[in-house]
Amino acid sequence: MIRITSYKSIVAALLTVFLVTACSEEFLEKKPLGQLSSETFFTTPEHAVLGTNAVYNLLRDWSVHVFSYIGTTDIISDDSDKGSTPNDANFLLEVDNFTFDAGNTAFSGVWSGYYRGIYRANLAIQEIPNIEMDETMKARLIGENKFLRAYFYLSLVRWFGDIPLILEPLNPDQYEQARDPKEEVFAAIEQDLLDAIDALPETYPPADIGRATKGAAQGLLARAYLTTGNFTGVRDMAEAVINSGRYDLYPNYTQLFQPIGENSVESVFEVQAEAFEVGGGGSQYNEVQGVRGIPNLGWGFNRPSDDLVATYETGDPRRDATIFYPGEILPDGSDIISDNPNIVGERYNQKAWVPDHPGGNGNGPGNIRLIRYADVLLMAAEAHNELGNPQQALEYLNQVRARARGTRTSVLPDITETNQNALRDIIWHERRVELAMEQQRWFDIVRQGRAAELMQAVGKPFVEGKHEVLPIPQTEIDLSGGMLTQNPGYN
Amino acid sequence: MKNKYLLSVFCLLLGLSTLHAQSTVTGTVIDETGLPLPGVNIRSALQSTTGVISDADGSYSIDLEDPANDTLIFSFIGYQTLRQAVQARTTIDVQMDVQQQLLDDVVVVGYGVQRKSDLTGAISSVKEEELQRVSSGNVEQILQGRVAGVQVTPSSGEPGRGAVIRIRGTGTLNDASPLFVVDGMLLNDIDFLNPNDIESIEVLKDASATAIYGSRGANGVIIVTTKKGRDQRPTFQLNAYYGAQEVVRQIDLTNASEFAQLANEVAINTGLETPFDDPNSFGEGTDWQDQIFQTAPIQNYQLSSNGGNEFVRYNIAANYFAQEGIIRGSDFNRLTIRLNNEYLLSENVTVGHNIAYTRNNRENPAGVLTQAYRAEPVIPVFNDDGSFADATVRIPVGNPEASIFYRNSFSDGTRLVGNAYINVDFLKNFTFRSSFGIDNERFESKTFVPQFEVSPTSLQRNEESNLNVNNTTNESWLWENTISYQNEWNIHRINLLGGVTAQEFTNEGLGGSRRNFLGETEEFFYLSAGEAETQTNFNGGFEWTLLSYLFRANYTLMDRYLLTVSMRADGSSKFGENNRWGYFPSVGLGWNLSQEAFMQSQNLISRLKLRGSWGVIGNEKIGAYAGKPTVTSNINAVFGNPSSLATGASIVDPANPNIQWEETEQYNFGVEIGFLENRLTAELDYYNRTTNDILVAVPIPDYVGVDANPVVNAASVENKGIDMTLNWRDDIGDFSYSVGFVGSTVNNEVLSLGTGQAEIFGGGLGVGGLLGTRTVVGQPIGAFYGYRTNGIFQNEQELEQFPTRGVEVPGDLRFVDTNNDGVITSDDRTMIGNPIPDFTYGFNVSMNYKGFDLALEFNGQQGNEIINAKKMARFGTYNFETTFLDRWTGEGTSNTEPRVTNGGHNYEPSERFIEDGSFTRLRTVQLGYTLPQSLMDRVGISRFRVYVIGNNLVTWTDYSGYTPEITSGSVISVGIDSGVFPIAKTFTAGIDVTF
Repeated sequence: MIRITSYKSIVAALLTVFLVTACSEEFLEKKPLGQLSSETFFTTPEHAVLGTNAVYNLLRDWSVHVFSYIGTTDIISDDSDKGSTPNDANFLLEVDNFTFDAGNTAFSGVWSGYYRGIYRANLAIQEIPNIEMDETMKARLIGENKFLRAYFYLSLVRWFGDIPLILEPLNPDQYEQARDPKEEVFAAIEQDLLDAIDALPETYPPADIGRATKGAAQGLLARAYLTTGNFTGVRDMAEAVINSGRYDLYPNYTQLFQPIGENSVESVFEVQAEAFEVGGGGSQYNEVQGVRGIPNLGWGFNRPSDDLVATYETGDPRRDATIFYPGEILPDGSDIISDNPNIVGERYNQKAWVPDHPGGNGNGPGNIRLIRYADVLLMAAEAHNELGNPQQALEYLNQVRARARGTRTSVLPDITETNQNALRDIIWHERRVELAMEQQRWFDIVRQGRAAELMQAVGKPFVEGKHEVLPIPQTEIDLSGGMLTQNPGYN
Repeated sequence: MKNKYLLSVFCLLLGLSTLHAQSTVTGTVIDETGLPLPGVNIRSALQSTTGVISDADGSYSIDLEDPANDTLIFSFIGYQTLRQAVQARTTIDVQMDVQQQLLDDVVVVGYGVQRKSDLTGAISSVKEEELQRVSSGNVEQILQGRVAGVQVTPSSGEPGRGAVIRIRGTGTLNDASPLFVVDGMLLNDIDFLNPNDIESIEVLKDASATAIYGSRGANGVIIVTTKKGRDQRPTFQLNAYYGAQEVVRQIDLTNASEFAQLANEVAINTGLETPFDDPNSFGEGTDWQDQIFQTAPIQNYQLSSNGGNEFVRYNIAANYFAQEGIIRGSDFNRLTIRLNNEYLLSENVTVGHNIAYTRNNRENPAGVLTQAYRAEPVIPVFNDDGSFADATVRIPVGNPEASIFYRNSFSDGTRLVGNAYINVDFLKNFTFRSSFGIDNERFESKTFVPQFEVSPTSLQRNEESNLNVNNTTNESWLWENTISYQNEWNIHRINLLGGVTAQEFTNEGLGGSRRNFLGETEEFFYLSAGEAETQTNFNGGFEWTLLSYLFRANYTLMDRYLLTVSMRADGSSKFGENNRWGYFPSVGLGWNLSQEAFMQSQNLISRLKLRGSWGVIGNEKIGAYAGKPTVTSNINAVFGNPSSLATGASIVDPANPNIQWEETEQYNFGVEIGFLENRLTAELDYYNRTTNDILVAVPIPDYVGVDANPVVNAASVENKGIDMTLNWRDDIGDFSYSVGFVGSTVNNEVLSLGTGQAEIFGGGLGVGGLLGTRTVVGQPIGAFYGYRTNGIFQNEQELEQFPTRGVEVPGDLRFVDTNNDGVITSDDRTMIGNPIPDFTYGFNVSMNYKGFDLALEFNGQQGNEIINAKKMARFGTYNFETTFLDRWTGEGTSNTEPRVTNGGHNYEPSERFIEDGSFTRLRTVQLGYTLPQSLMDRVGISRFRVYVIGNNLVTWTDYSGYTPEITSGSVISVGIDSGVFPIAKTFTAGIDVTF
């Protein structure tokens, strides 16, 4: 039998206590495993690039450029209807039919997605200046973040009107924010884009294609000025892009939206997406608009409306380049679009079509074209017309029509109208057909002050003075501690 | 001078009367096996202050004043108290017998055991036989309705799943589940435990009992003691049962023609073409619920052996439990092996171990419950050619039968939980104990999706086969070192405990995936069989440590006056350096009135005790790095021509470096009373728990732009209520019976949400994730929030007459203008229900007559509401609950159920979706018969019992869902029924044999 004396056990016990205590502080210090700690992040040039890429990441995000986005740009407009089977995605039907309220998830979707982008850009803009690195590179990265922040704000302010203007990451005691006047938001957008224009290069080496360029920032600023009606600004910015000599119209309008047309000479800014075998890289932008069912496995949302179909000039080849019908052969020749008996008046957005891709249908490889040279030309045309310079307006306008016409000389004759009001209508119509189903239409008709007239004309219960802006998401009002107010008419 | 004073006090305490002894009695105390029994208290019946303790050899010596008339009383924890009239003898040797109902009088407490009569804290015990009345593999679920103050809600009816346990209400906005302690090992769950291995369960409820667990005791502590070896000849036990389970009830859904009718109305109400030409032509159609539910077997087999001698005691058990789910494709089985041995190395040194090894296999069900709830009944299960019918035609739901068919998802886990310990008795009254425990768990889950298409046009398809493999290891070690001092002299009994403990927990996950597999049968469910170019992988982990110092003193004076003081200091790696240490004190007082002289003259009250306690306890159940912001990586961009991934990373989850412990301050006042020789016993406790500095992951506005909600110490919550336990037991000849009742009330109220924080929203509902709960000061946690309703707008005139939101048309719900401002706005939303029951209860009756035993158990809850959220999530025209049939179709047709739509106004969170969650359930009916001993002796069997059990046979409730027990891991989302795996009613038959 073992005998353990009292002394031994006391010594053992005390020793234990001593040992455990002696190393306690070390024992209680645990570092995060397999992750960078925030204490050491944003300290190297690599971190500056990582933090900037994290902002671009959101451009492929579901809440930024996919379902809610399509709903609040195209479906809400007179260009398109909800699409898909009649009952699928009831909340988008509400958007299409103006029966929505502040609880509709389409609005909270884009609201949250765009503000996430703003936060990440704010963080990068706050932290990168403190990093010791090459000054040109530093300026460029800050410029990219300012471009992206401006892009997010420009969409938000056009959807919601007055919104909280947040230009730095918020501390917990700042979480309750009120809305800032939209004029202040536009001013911030302008400042960000002017800074970006100064800092960004005109081009990038092949590996960095897709990052914001000087031209992209000028194009976006032209779009912001167009919204506020600053036509001098529109003219200057659009012509800065035009005169840079780096852009041109892509000769084939149909192919412009196919894989072969990605990053073409016409591309001023487009979101890069690629369906890699592994690691993602895709976006569901293509999937939600793809041909429903076989063979494209799309969901079939965003159906070109009857009104859009009817608006094209006779023989305008852009109509067939924009709309798929059942029975049509897919552009890659892989299959014929079958007639789905459960979809009424079946049509699809051809511009969002992509061929087959690996890894299931969620991994859409199509780039999202956000600013095209044709858009810039039409902005320049509109600005010149407003500034009393119809000849220059016609010059730009007819470039766009000529490309659309291609070799078919009998259609889309050159415009010669010089009456300002008549020409304005022509330019607006040209914008509609040239940029159809490219998520521009809603913003155009709202800024043009025609939303009520046009939406009512297609039978929607659009309430003038209410529906020009979307309701602030109800959850946001709840969570803001009552600081956020609702837009008129949405209680 | 000082020494002299101390000495005189000491003498006084010892009792000066011993100096005048007339006679000395000596003797030896032996136990039931003939071995010496040290530590037995021997006292005189006449001299209340005289008492001695037997030494290591079991011998004692006591001085008596009146040896002729005196009686010696021998008492020892766990043994029957023995009285011996002295009758002038000078030597009295006695043998003591083990107390049969050991657990009635000794209660397991934190880091030790205590006499029940000495307790100052609120502790309830559950005994072995009560655990056998529910046929379930899960101990947590078995606890339901047994202990006052403990609310147990099954988290799911899925086999192998546990329960959500709340002890004395919901004391935090975070993880409010209790701490589990199994044979001294501190754990967060007891899913691995086999109910057959358990000897007793103690539930520690008040601060006096839980404060010794410091930062982990705030939500109560459940101590599980497994069966230990006994010093007896080897016995063997076989327990087996087999049974069947089926769904308690199904939800009333519309049949095919009713559905088609409603679907047409939805289309008309939203301005669409009607999808069905002739609704009546569809008839009954498909009952998808019938399709997915099955009658499922449940079985359990246990073989164990128990025995020992003076050197070794052992308990060995092997168990196999298998349960198929009532929803097809959710099978679960578990193998458990337990080895509890103790080795007596010398008279003062004991070493031992308690080890459990479990292995389980589980099928992860396909989530077909939601599909079955939503799928259109107009679609058949199979087409005429035998292929699956496409259930994605009008709305992408999926054919549940196909989902089950193509589902290949399994989890396999192994877990080793146990400890090894050494106990050394020294210097007569001291014991040193060192225990090293481990909890090593490893589980793997695999999900393989074959390449398939339900039909050429169906959206229910998968283009490329793929496999996801996910391995997780959780490793924890706990080293505890304690020294205890125990002494008893005259009228004093003292017990001191001090110790140091250290614990480390490590988690690691490793997983990967590939696509395009070489084959689609089980032998190909390995990543190597997939295409290498498609591979992905991940590997991550976390760890935390906890270092603690603990101290407790128990003092009992004259068996009447009780004092317990405890203190624990905890240091945790989860908190920043400044807030790392927390201190958790408690004090408990007790008074055994029934021991007082003035209580001796009556026979009515046989036991009466008053208790009171106060203490502060903590909760540290938060993420390992909640105080350390980390960087999220792999938020990548794509650039370039040709394009490639560009790695991105940022700080998208905010962290708060200043977070600290949640602290709960708890008061408890209790009375224990026994009447008529304890035939009737009652225990009543009033408690008041206030939790401060509650860590809240506060939902913040999306415009802040972060991906997760930050954690702050913000809120305060109060829970107060009464726990009561009543038991009556009696014998009438061969007939014995007992009746028991446990009940508890909880009044939960939020006292504060921190500065500037007016409300916390939670509970995403419906398609848009509308927030259905709002936690505000003065209301319970997670109170339901929405519009009150007041009928239906019958016509255009009423739309003018009553306040509206502006979107209503006739047939829509009329919301109440609670702020009387003439319009309905979001400001009119108000509290519309409480997910926390006012009262939970259990009631049981058991009877024995000769060889027969019968037990009935009921449990229930009262006063809580449920949001029937599954009804609210209509992405399109899914199937309908039959309540939709009562819809408004024109003036005067309905004033409760609005016109049928899929969203919009009528789907705002409102009273429309609130239902009463009260229920009473016949939990158990058990009938057993033990064969006569005379018969069994002939075949060498000491006990043979057969029984049948029915569980969950009847539930009385108004709730329309599968079960009114709706819980959530998140306390601000409780009571929201988004489609829970239903519980089953179970019939089993079994045998218990001992030989």
